[in-house]
Formats: sequence, C-alpha cells, structure tokens
Amino acid sequence: MPTGGRIRAAVVAAALAMPGLLPVTVRAQQPAPGPPSPPPMAGMPGTPGMGPDSTAKGAPSPGAGMNMSGMPGMKDGSMAMPIPMTPGMPMVPGLIGLAPGVAPFLPGAGADPMRLPAAKPAATVRLKTGDTLDLTAMLVRRTIKGRAVAMYGYNGQVPGPLIRVPQNATIVVRFHNRIDLPSAVHWHGVRLDNRYDGTPGVTQAPVKPGDNFEYRVHFPDAGLYWYHPHVREDIEQAMGLFGNMIVDAPDSAYYSPANRDQMLVLSDLLVNADTLIPFGREGPDFALMGRVGNLVLVNGEGRDSMHVHAGDVVRFYLTNVASSRTFNVSFGGAPIKVLASDVSRFEQEALVPSVVMAPAERYIVEARFEHPGQYAMVNAVQAINHFKGEFDAEVDTLGIVTVDAAPATPDYGHAFATMRANPAVSKDIDRFRPYFSKAPDKRFTLTMSTSGLPLATVQFMDVDTAYYAPVEWIDAMPDMNWLSDNQQVHWAIRDQATGKDNMDIDWHVPVGSIVKVQIFNDPKSFHPMQHPIHLHGQRMLVVARDGVVTRDLVWKDTVIIPVGSTVDLLIDASNPGAWMMHCHIAEHLESGMMTQLHVDPPAGTAHQ
Amino acid sequence: MALAFGIVGPGPTIGPYDIPLYGSPATPAANGHGRLVYAESPFGVALTPDGHARYDIHVTAAALPAPSSLGKFRAYVAWAVTPDLSAWSRLGTVSNGSSTVGPVDLNKFLLVVTAESDSASATHAGPTVLHGISPSSLLQRFLTQPAFHGVSE
Repeated sequence: MPTGGRIRAAVVAAALAMPGLLPVTVRAQQPAPGPPSPPPMAGMPGTPGMGPDSTAKGAPSPGAGMNMSGMPGMKDGSMAMPIPMTPGMPMVPGLIGLAPGVAPFLPGAGADPMRLPAAKPAATVRLKTGDTLDLTAMLVRRTIKGRAVAMYGYNGQVPGPLIRVPQNATIVVRFHNRIDLPSAVHWHGVRLDNRYDGTPGVTQAPVKPGDNFEYRVHFPDAGLYWYHPHVREDIEQAMGLFGNMIVDAPDSAYYSPANRDQMLVLSDLLVNADTLIPFGREGPDFALMGRVGNLVLVNGEGRDSMHVHAGDVVRFYLTNVASSRTFNVSFGGAPIKVLASDVSRFEQEALVPSVVMAPAERYIVEARFEHPGQYAMVNAVQAINHFKGEFDAEVDTLGIVTVDAAPATPDYGHAFATMRANPAVSKDIDRFRPYFSKAPDKRFTLTMSTSGLPLATVQFMDVDTAYYAPVEWIDAMPDMNWLSDNQQVHWAIRDQATGKDNMDIDWHVPVGSIVKVQIFNDPKSFHPMQHPIHLHGQRMLVVARDGVVTRDLVWKDTVIIPVGSTVDLLIDASNPGAWMMHCHIAEHLESGMMTQLHVDPPAGTAHQ
Repeated sequence: MALAFGIVGPGPTIGPYDIPLYGSPATPAANGHGRLVYAESPFGVALTPDGHARYDIHVTAAALPAPSSLGKFRAYVAWAVTPDLSAWSRLGTVSNGSSTVGPVDLNKFLLVVTAESDSASATHAGPTVLHGISPSSLLQRFLTQPAFHGVSE
C-alpha cells in the first residue's frame, strides 16, 4: 500500500465489483503514455523549476523540517491523511488507504505560526498617477477553526491592500517576494502594458524568494479588479495572496447611488478538523476538479457582518478568488440589482435572484435592506450526491446583515428601483455589433485525458457517465480528486483546426483585430467539468451561449463555460503582446490548460 | 442598444441538456427532442437563490396529429412534472416544429406534453402525447451497487 512519495496510488485496484464491470484485480502502475508534457518554459506553472523545490536564496526546502506528524492521520510527514468526505458520502472502497503521488507542502516549512505576524484585514490604499506602492508577499499567522497556522498575505493583510485609483491612473508597484515559493503578481482584468502582466514564462521571470520586481500598472477601465500570483496559484492564492483594485470613474454617478460600499472577497479552504490539507510539493493534487474547500471564507474570515439602516442600499463588490468553487450568492431575500462585471457596467441594470460567479469573476451589485431585522448572506447550491443519486441542498452562511429601525439617509429606494440603461456602454459596444454574427476565427474544445489514475477512480468515473452536471458546485468525490495530480491529469484547450493543445497552439492576430472565438466544453471527456476561461490583457463580450444571443452585454475577462456548452466570444484585441488564455481553476491551469494569444503590433514596430 | 433574443446556431447535440421525447399510446408515431438552455441571466448560468438551475426548453416535435383528432382538444401544452407526478408546472404550448417553453427549475423532472382543450390551460386534463425525462434523472445511485454493500451513507 503506497503511503506517499512518488509511488502512485493505482497500485491497489478497486473493489468496484459491479455487475458487468471489471473484476477485482491488482494492477501495477503503468507508465503514463498520455499526451506530451507542456513545453519546457522556464517559469511556467507546473513545469520543472517552478514548484516548491525551486526555492532559492536560502529559503528553506519545503517539506524539509515540516513536522506533520501531529496532524490527524499523518504518519511521519507523509500524505496518508484521510481526506474529509462530504457528509453522507462514503469513500470509494478501492481508494481507502491510498495517498497522492506528491509530497506534502504547507507554507512556512514548519515554522512556529505564533512567531509570525497576525494577518490583518485589508486596508484601503488610495493612489494616483505617479504614486508607488510597496507590496510584499510574506508569511502571516491566521487562525483557522481556532488553530494558528502559517499562511501568506500581501503586506501582512488578507485580503491584500485594497488599491483604489482613479481611471487612467498609472502607478508603480514594487513587489517584494518574501515567501518560500517563487511568485509574481498578475493584475487580473487590467489592460496594462504586456511587460507588467505578471505571467512567468511569458512576460517575466518568476520572482524568486528574496527578490523584487517593479510593475508599472495602468488602469484604463473603471471597475473592480484583483491581483494574485501566477505561480502555483493552487498554493499561493489559496493561502492568502489575493487583493482587490477599484478603479473609480470620473463620473460620481457612474453607478446608481448607494448608502455604503462593502467588499466581499469569496474563497474557501480545505481542512480536516482544524488542520489544513497539505498541497502537492512537486505539483498540485486535486487535479481532476481543483481543490474545493469545505470552509467558505469571506474577506479571509469565516463570516462577515455589517449593520445598516432600514432602507439602506449597499453596493457589494464581489470577487471569487477560490481555486475551483463557483458561488451562488444571495442576501436573505433582499432584492439584488446587478450593475457591472469584470471590465465594465452592463448595458442595462437588472434585478437578479442571486449572483452566480465562477472563479476570478467579479460582479458589482446593490442590495436594498428595507425592513429591520437580520438578513443572511448565503451561498446556496444544489449539490450532487453520487452515492444516493440525488441532489442535496448545500447552504453556506457568508455573513449577517443586521438592519436597525433608523431610516436610510438619504433614501435611495427610488433610484434602486430604477433599472438604468448605460448608453455609454452600448455606444462603446456599437462598433463591435457588426461582428457578432460572423463566423468564428478560432474554435476551441475544452477536454482532458488522464494516465495512471487509481483503477478505482477510473472504473467509477467510467460508469458514472449517464449524467454530467453542467456545473459542479461542490467536490462530491474528494477522495478521487485528492488522488489525482498534474502528472496524471492533462487538461487541454484544443484548437479544432489543428488539433494542437495548449501552449503548442500558435495563435497570432494583428493589434486592432476583432476576433470571434467559439469554445465548446466537451461533455464526452473522462471528466467533463465547467471551466472559467480567463483572457489576459484584453476585453471580450459573450455574444452568445449555445446559440442564444446575449441581450444585455458587459465586457468580461473571465467567462464560465458549463459542460456541454458552447460560448461565442468577441475579443477586442487592442492591446499588443503575448497574453495568456487559461482556465482559472488553479489546478487545471497547473495541469496544462492554458494557451497564448499573440496580439501583434503593426509590421515594423516592436512592442516593448 | 441591445440585441433581440434569437437562435443563431445549433447548440450541443448531446450532453447534459438533451431530453429525447417519445410518443404515447395515443400518439405512437409522435417524437421529439427537448434541449435545456439556461434561462436568460447576466451570469450565463441561471439559478434560483437556493441553487436550482433555471432552464428554458427548446422543444422540437414531429408527427403530432392535430389535437382535434384526439378528442375535443385545441392545443398541446408542455409541463414540467416532478418524478412522483405530484406537481405539474405549465411551461407553454408546443406544436410540430420548434417551440421554446419554460422556465423550469426542478432538479429532476419529466417533460410531458398533453392535449388540452384550451391553449391557456393552467391544469392538465388531456391525454399525454409526448414525454421524456430530464438528463438529471439519469443520475446513478451507487449505494445500491455490490461494491458499496456495508458502506453507510
């Protein structure tokens, strides 16, 4: 029975002796014959040299000195920890006792958390053109279910500092990497100079522990953005390296009025009792569907709370920074109006029953709390229970809004009830409308392959194919997911024209192009799953889903593509450079699911 | 200016959105297909606050006889029906060719088309002419399998 290290979990076969299936056997580990590995790009996530092993400048070797023997289920620092199953879901018998094929890693290499600075909540930093911000990735102490643990934070804060700038500002950010992994800062959604996009292997070398990098960040678009690492996001982002940016439009009436603003940064953590489940040292585990936590966090904490007056309109700035979880957020029955998403306002404000957001998406919404009392902010989904063959309601309470009897001052009730059109947004989009119905310039299929997974996993998933959920809201199979790493799971963005995958795709367009891209999420792959696809440095419109034309448009940088679904995207390729397009489920990215869009400057000019 | 709602091309032909429709003893030649499409939503994925997916259904039907050939009926009406047949929700009218009905927000359901005397009928009374099950109805129950005998829920 393997207990860790590089011994694969498939040594022991499953006991899935279902009628008509394979008999119980013992299968030796087969060498993975799967698709070729991603091209060796120094600094690319998931490639040699970018894992925790590649720490430098005297940073302690991860795993070395990490004393996990005190953790529940841990033996001699190995990963033989029982993975927490969803209540009511048994482990697949053939997986019991197996362990991932990657060594365990947690931040801090066993450092005493009590000697680390306690993480602080995000502080707002207002900056203008010419200002400089020092941003330091560092170890911090956080308390998870009463237990002090070493995690990461920017400037000692989780979330990192809220950077607030006027539209069209350009600031300098001096990044200092003081964690035990290489890192970089990606300015998610910002159409900035390609040199500062923060994608190791494409726009810069990774910033080694102890090193620094200076970013010049220009903010051309008003809205809500976020920053995070683009190196081992499965670890660094999950452990606390994320922060928001609000870019203020010059028009004070850019959004409909509100009595107050509230940031809601949503994430999750996977814990066993009060102990973090370690990450994979050489590469991520949970490669099948990404690490879905069992502890939902709001602004890095377990629960949010706020007090408002009766009739107050609260403008919420929501960002999903989770590795894999898609949220469905509502506010205890308070009416919700959606104003904006990733890179712009909607053409038309609209009332919505809830806010659905995939990893990396942002939404700006307002809710009006009319009556005194308490409103529970919740994430509510219908989760699949594969063992019972039923759906289970899952509700996470994100926070409580307490409404007192004092009346809102001013009372924005009338403005809230008015669904504004945003003609400036529509006018901006008008020049793109003639291209909505053109044939796609590029067609991609989202798919995957596997090699070397435990036999029990393969057998179970082979027979569980009668129905695929378009969106998986929880990890219904955490045991199978845990026992999959990025050497076994190969996620792919496949060019339908050439059959090439991921970084082998040679995709160039001239700057100024309006590019139609059609992406199909193949329901016939071994593990079909939704993918939040993110394009760096540009903006795009979702002009149709499954052939249905979008009526109310908004500029996006991240779009969820459910299983079996087809989306038509129109990209405003106006920003020259080499830009990543990838799945924003961290473990899928680390398992290869990324390509590049080269927006080429005019001939004779060199983009610098 | 926003564009009008419309169908611009084929969606997936197989996958988690497809509902094969079958005739009934009253209409053995009738057949059809339902395709679930997320109801209009700013988020692409339409949900209720408690997390139920909200779908419209594009129904394609063929070989439906004239409703009047089955009795005193004037229209065909589509219903979303809970698996235990206890609750019927009117989705809209269908006919031979393409129709869009909905929305439906049940985890599992039957799609049933009945002949009705009134196209606006709010309750079902006539014979079934087409029926199918939601893709989610195919969700398997593994605890009944021998491999899980002795494993508690």
